Amino acid sequence: MNIASPRPLAALNYLYLLLMLLVIAAILTAATAMQYIGGELPCPLCLLQRVGLFGVCFGIIATFRFGEQGRNTGLSLLFAIFLLVVSVRQSLLDIYPRPGHAYIGSAVFGIHMPVWCVLIALSLLIAYAIKLALLDLREARAFTLAEFPTLARAARAVTAYVVLLCTINLVSVIVQCGFDACHTTGYRLLQSAH
Amino acid sequence: MMVPIFAVLLLALVAAWMGRQTAAIACLVVCLLLSIGLFLFEVYSPEYGFRMPWIQTELDGSGALPRGLA
Repeated sequence: MNIASPRPLAALNYLYLLLMLLVIAAILTAATAMQYIGGELPCPLCLLQRVGLFGVCFGIIATFRFGEQGRNTGLSLLFAIFLLVVSVRQSLLDIYPRPGHAYIGSAVFGIHMPVWCVLIALSLLIAYAIKLALLDLREARAFTLAEFPTLARAARAVTAYVVLLCTINLVSVIVQCGFDACHTTGYRLLQSAH
Repeated sequence: MMVPIFAVLLLALVAAWMGRQTAAIACLVVCLLLSIGLFLFEVYSPEYGFRMPWIQTELDGSGALPRGLA
């Protein structure tokens, strides 16, 4: 089987995107678990970093649904850059310890969340660069995900999971922030009025 | 502000899942614009603006570069 022929190339492209989506879903799951199990409330910039990750997911899900289009890749790249900008700024905000400023949350393998997000954003940009450089998809664009039933089933499952994660995050944000600014002192809607 | 951002983000994901490409992209663009606005609001300081003076460096005034940089 020649991997450079359009059909295997399209399958490889969808598999690559599925693996990227799985990795991002795992990262978002870890963040949500740390919030609920570890009791670590996310700060506003932390929540914006989650938005960046969900935005990258959107580009991948749109590719699964509508086929390989430059527009979907572009949207993913935009959100990866947004994630990089927000995480670099937050790392620089907290890099010098001073009153009221310290890295929020516990370190994972010695690295705090915003610094992890810098590495994650760079990894996503590199992953997209490698995909664009190595996979010549001009002819493979004709193949939709539906033509690969196993991959399509897996993609549907992971997509549903990402939508569920986003729903959990929306509810969580409503409870934490209400319709006002977000704070890490507690869940606003669960605090007593007095 | 965070609630509308996550709400349009969820709408975008659901619309993409349901096959509504134009609506999905419109929601995502709104989400990105709101996110950029909130990011700028969050990092702006009345005292420093967008600057980060705590990481600025300056020469000690002697004019001599440290050994190895000369």
